[in-house]
Amino acid sequence: MTAPRRYAWARQLLALAIVLAVWEAAGHAGMLNPLYAPRPTQIGAALVDLFASGSVWPHMEATFTAALVGLALGIAIGIVLGVIAALVPLVAELIEPVMTLLNAIPRVILAPLFVIWLGIGLASKIALAVILVAVLIFFTVFSGIRQVDRRLVERIVTLGGGRAALVRHVYLPSVAAWVMGSLKVAIGFAFTGACVGEFVGASRGLGYLLSFAQSTYNSALMLAIVLLIMIVVLAIFALGGRLERHLLRWS
Amino acid sequence: MRVRDVTISYGGEPVLEGASLAVGEGRFVSLVGPSGSGKSSLLRAVIGLQAPLAGAIEMELARDEVGILFQDDALLPWRTARDNVALGLTFRGMERAKALDEAEAWLGRLGLAGFGDRFPRRLSGGQRKRVALAQVLALKPRLILMDEPFASLDAIVRARIIQDVVGLVERERISVLLVTHDLEEALCLSDIVYLLSQGPRARITQRYEVPIPRPRELIGARVHPAFAPLYEKLWRDLSLEVEGAARAPAPNDAEAA
Repeated sequence: MTAPRRYAWARQLLALAIVLAVWEAAGHAGMLNPLYAPRPTQIGAALVDLFASGSVWPHMEATFTAALVGLALGIAIGIVLGVIAALVPLVAELIEPVMTLLNAIPRVILAPLFVIWLGIGLASKIALAVILVAVLIFFTVFSGIRQVDRRLVERIVTLGGGRAALVRHVYLPSVAAWVMGSLKVAIGFAFTGACVGEFVGASRGLGYLLSFAQSTYNSALMLAIVLLIMIVVLAIFALGGRLERHLLRWS
Repeated sequence: MRVRDVTISYGGEPVLEGASLAVGEGRFVSLVGPSGSGKSSLLRAVIGLQAPLAGAIEMELARDEVGILFQDDALLPWRTARDNVALGLTFRGMERAKALDEAEAWLGRLGLAGFGDRFPRRLSGGQRKRVALAQVLALKPRLILMDEPFASLDAIVRARIIQDVVGLVERERISVLLVTHDLEEALCLSDIVYLLSQGPRARITQRYEVPIPRPRELIGARVHPAFAPLYEKLWRDLSLEVEGAARAPAPNDAEAA
C-alpha cells in the first residue's frame, strides 16, 4: 500500500528528526569525534552564535551582493549574447566555440585568475558568478531561440506582424520562459561563484568565513555556514518560484 | 484569386507541379488529394510563406484581405484568448482598447463569450479552434485559406464549428480555399472541388462543380441527390490516383528513396 502523497513532508521531517537524534545520541555516547563531526546542537549553537554576535552580517552582505549582482549581470549578459548569436550567424560562429569551451570546463577554476586580475574585493566574486551564470543562460537562450515554435512565427507573420511584433510577442516571451526554467540552476551557480571566489581569496563573505573555519579546524562553524547557505538559497528559490509562477501563469 | 502553373519544390524533386486553379469572389473552393500531394504547400505559396519555383499567383485582393487558418491552432500560449484575437487588429494600427473590444465581440459571435480571459491552455481543442477562427475573421478577410483546420477535432465539435463557418462565409460572402483529405467535408462545403494526384510531382487532375444550393446545412447537403454520385466519382478518381502511384512508381522514386 502506498502512503498518501500529501503526508510526504511529514515523513521527510520525521526522517530528518530521526537522523539528527541518532547523530546527537552518537555524539553524546562518544562515538563521533567532535573535532570532525560535531553534534547537531553544537552546529546550531555555532549558527546562533554567528547571529548573536552580529559578526555574520557583513559576511552575508558580501556574499549576497556578489551572488545577486552576479546573477543579474550573468542573466543579462547571457540573454543579450544568446539573442545576438541566435539572430546573427556571424556572431554565433565566434561566440559559440568560446561558450562551448567555457561550458566544458569547471568554470570555478577561473577563480584564482579573477583574484589576480580583479583583486580580493567584490569584483572577482561577481566576475566568477557572472561567468558561471552567463554561460548557462547563453545556451538556454541560444538553443531556445533556434527552436522557437515556427508555427507561432508564421501565425504572427500571416496576421500582419513585422519583426518588432515577432520579438515582442514570440521571442521575448519564449526567452522569458526558458530563462525561468534555468533560474534555479542559475541561482545555485551564482552562490557557487560568490562562495568559491571568497574561499579562494577574500577578506569578507561566507566563503571567506568557511575558509577561516577550515584553517582553525572549526567543524561546527563550517557546518553552521553550510547550513546557513542552504537556508539562504532555499529562501531565494522560493522567491524565484513565485516569480516563475507569476511570469509563467499561462502554462 | 488565381493560381497559374505553380510548381513548388523544397530543393530536389517538386512536390507539386504545374498547378492551376481559381477562386472566384464569394466561392468556396476545396482542394483534395492524398497526403504528400503538396496541398498545404500550395496554400503556403498563396499566403507568401513559400516561394513557388515556377508559376504565378494572381490576386485581386490586397495582402491584408487574405487570412489563413492553419491545421494546428498556434495561439500564443502566453496571451489570453482575447489578446490573441486582438493581435492582428493591433498590427493594423487599431488602438489596443478598441481592438480588445472588437476581439471580445468576435469571441461572442463564435460562442466564446466569457472565455476572453482564459489562456489557450485552459481552452478545449474546439474552443482554441474558435479563437483561431476569431483571430482570422476579426481582420475582415475577403479570402480565407484553410489548411485542414478541422482535422484534429472530434466529430460533434467539428460538425458544429463547420456549420458556424459555413454560415459566416455565406453571410459575409467570403471566398474560401480549403485544403482537406476529407471528401465528404469538401463536397458538403464547396462550390468547386479540385483533385490533386499523388505526389511527388502532384498535379491537379480533376475539377468538380458541386450543384448543391446555398445556404447550406451540413446534413441537408449530405442527403441532397447530387451528393452521392459526386462522392462516388470523387472517391473512385482519388483511389485511382493513389493506386496508380503505388503500382507504377515514377522512375525517380528509387533514387529519391
